[in-house]
Amino acid sequence: MRLVHCAAALAVLAAAPAAADYPTRALQGVIMWGAGGATDTVSRAIQPHAEAALGRDIVMTNRSGGTGAIATRYVQAQRADGYTLLFGAENPQLHKVLGLADIDYDDFYPVNILARGVAIVVTTADAPWQSFGELVAEAQADPGAIRMGATGPGGLPHVVGSMLASGVEFPVTAVPYDGEGPALTAMLGGAVDFMPVGLSAAAEHIRAGRVRPLAVVDTAEVDLLPGVPPITAEFPVFEDYLPWGPFYGVFVRRDTPEAITATLVEAFHGAASVAEFEELMEARGNVMMNLTGDEADAFLDRWRSVTSWIMYDAGAAQVSPDSVGIARP
Amino acid sequence: MADILAQIGVAWLDPSLLLLTALGTAAGVYIGAIPGLSVTMAVSILISFTFTWRAEEALALIAGIYMGGVYGGARSAILLNIPGGPAAVATALDGYPLAQRGEAGAAIGLATVMSVIGGFAGILVLALAAPWVSEVALRFQPRDYLLISILGILLVASLSGPSLAKGVFAGALGLIVGTVGLDPLTAQERFTFGVVDLWAGISPIAVMIGVFGIAEALVQLHHLDTQPIRQKLERILPSWRLVRRHLPLSLQSAGIGVGVGALPGTGGDIASLFAYDHAKRVTRNPSRPFGQGAYEGLVAPETANNAAVGGAFIPMLTLGIPGDAVTAVIIGALFIQGLNPGPMLMVENAHVFWFVVGSLLLANCCVLLFGLTGVRVFTWLVRCPRSVLIPLILLLSVVGAYAIGNALTDVYWALAFGLLGYFMKMYRYPVAPIILGVILAPLMDQNWRRAIISVRDDVPRLLADLVSTPISFTLTAAIVLVLAAKLPWHRRRHHQ
Repeated sequence: MRLVHCAAALAVLAAAPAAADYPTRALQGVIMWGAGGATDTVSRAIQPHAEAALGRDIVMTNRSGGTGAIATRYVQAQRADGYTLLFGAENPQLHKVLGLADIDYDDFYPVNILARGVAIVVTTADAPWQSFGELVAEAQADPGAIRMGATGPGGLPHVVGSMLASGVEFPVTAVPYDGEGPALTAMLGGAVDFMPVGLSAAAEHIRAGRVRPLAVVDTAEVDLLPGVPPITAEFPVFEDYLPWGPFYGVFVRRDTPEAITATLVEAFHGAASVAEFEELMEARGNVMMNLTGDEADAFLDRWRSVTSWIMYDAGAAQVSPDSVGIARP
Repeated sequence: MADILAQIGVAWLDPSLLLLTALGTAAGVYIGAIPGLSVTMAVSILISFTFTWRAEEALALIAGIYMGGVYGGARSAILLNIPGGPAAVATALDGYPLAQRGEAGAAIGLATVMSVIGGFAGILVLALAAPWVSEVALRFQPRDYLLISILGILLVASLSGPSLAKGVFAGALGLIVGTVGLDPLTAQERFTFGVVDLWAGISPIAVMIGVFGIAEALVQLHHLDTQPIRQKLERILPSWRLVRRHLPLSLQSAGIGVGVGALPGTGGDIASLFAYDHAKRVTRNPSRPFGQGAYEGLVAPETANNAAVGGAFIPMLTLGIPGDAVTAVIIGALFIQGLNPGPMLMVENAHVFWFVVGSLLLANCCVLLFGLTGVRVFTWLVRCPRSVLIPLILLLSVVGAYAIGNALTDVYWALAFGLLGYFMKMYRYPVAPIILGVILAPLMDQNWRRAIISVRDDVPRLLADLVSTPISFTLTAAIVLVLAAKLPWHRRRHHQ
């Protein structure tokens, strides 16, 4: 019995300085989307700066699948000791209304909402459509014939498709891929015809002339894509929903000790303020946010409320946002 | 031209880059030899501390680790029957029997030379034909990946040994194991029974460590008192005659390796299994029966998996599309270095392309150097008494399994599959088809669904599409031919 007490005392002694000295070992970073996608590139761009601030390595792994549910559930199942970071995008905020998972960012502490992305609609350079309107018209003429690259329920293509479907007939066939990168690859090879995608994942392909941007999912043109019309020009239905876009952030479990989250917040806030990171984000067409704490929580809440109701009203979500405690905006 | 040669030469002429590549290769050989420690992991860790370096320095080190790591997997496969990674599973099939015959030295020598030949072939294709190969690789549709996975399933026949039924059983088991976890397309739970640790599925590497490493250690317990085999170590470098005899097979395997490696959805693991199967098909008189130490069974997978390295760089450098997990991490590194990996890399930063070609060439030469030296230290492993060796294998297996994802779950899986593998070996079931199944299950599952969704559940149209493009047609024809070759009438005709 005494031995057990001793062991317990030792364990407490060993644990106590662990929180104070955090981090004492390498951290694990879990990216919820595959390599080459927008979330992946943002996460890997912030990683070295965060490592420098923390003085420890962050070992990054991609755990894609289930529109981020696999990574989210995985991190939630790890200890709340700040050693497992979730590098996530907006998707878990829709998991409740889509019935994918009963956890979302309510269960995580937002260390930093790094940046938000601009969604665009792209097709291949040799596709017949010169505008998004032409594509939609052809989809209506031959329902289901046009294939949309998708990233699963709650993914960016799904949400943008639902927004459009709330106003006009939009019968396309969604073919799901592991992430934006693989779906874009499939589009380049002709396996799908078009896809809504984050500008950052498609930027280099647009520059190379392999991919044609049809519309910017925003109310105005963006600097990086001069001449590409905002989607509201052809489809005013989007005006109710915009501005809307994907975002990228770093999260830990909500019940992580405050001393640890404070260290992380400071480290990532500093990392996201490094000019090099900001330049990289700008070059990829992302908008810097660098939100922490209550501000970040407020942003997350608003995003979830707006998007959940869009999806529900468009008939794309079976679970009523009300029933899972998401109020109408 | 002189410009290109100068860019290729950078890695060779700068002493610090030369040293980094050599260091990377040496480290890679050891990382690759330990199951669970993967090249992907090593490269990801490296990237975090190389971001302040020049891009060239980081790339040189990575090229070394990649080449060395893929080669290193053969070491433990030959000496201990524990493949260092899934790409070395096929190597163990004939490499380990060779070691048991006391030819470990010769087997490592041959594997080294063939890896280097494969490596050069892959780099050559990368240097000369990258843009064309990547355009073809891009053209592969979901149905083509489905066909590849079906072709892959047919490899069970090659990996089965004497009883096809037992091989099919093992392969089917692998397929089921490979479907465990959240559905990658819809996030529905499959075979998880509500257990959180099953959400991410069962790691193929944990399965591999179990059925090869731990099962092998358990089997060895039966022979605890047997004297270790005396290894002939006078000659490690294979004779020119031996190399020349296997050169045609080696080059064909390299072709398989580059091709499969260049596809964004497949890599060296599948390539080496295809190459092993190819060797079995085309070799009329193997040096020994396959599975009992045929040189051909060692040559084919070893050439293919190193050729796949060059292949994986093809879509990465030309289009910014990763050819496998390692090149995906390298894309991240290039992005952080501000080099914008993508289709414009070849246009705006062509020097990066040629630099990678140069450092891969250098790394390949280092593989030859490190592969042929220090063999004696490694073979000490097989000469040491079993009472030392068995605990060592078990320790290595547990550490390796834990290293996969820093999770005990993987250790438990490795132990469970070790027990299963032990009984399978006792009852003469082949274990390699399990790995095949686990690797192919997601490829087959996802691409079948993508293919059928794309044609709106129209099965006749999907079947028509299977012969509609050159790629699909070739793959369909290959499947038909492989099946036809197994038909009784065809076999009778050939055996008469």
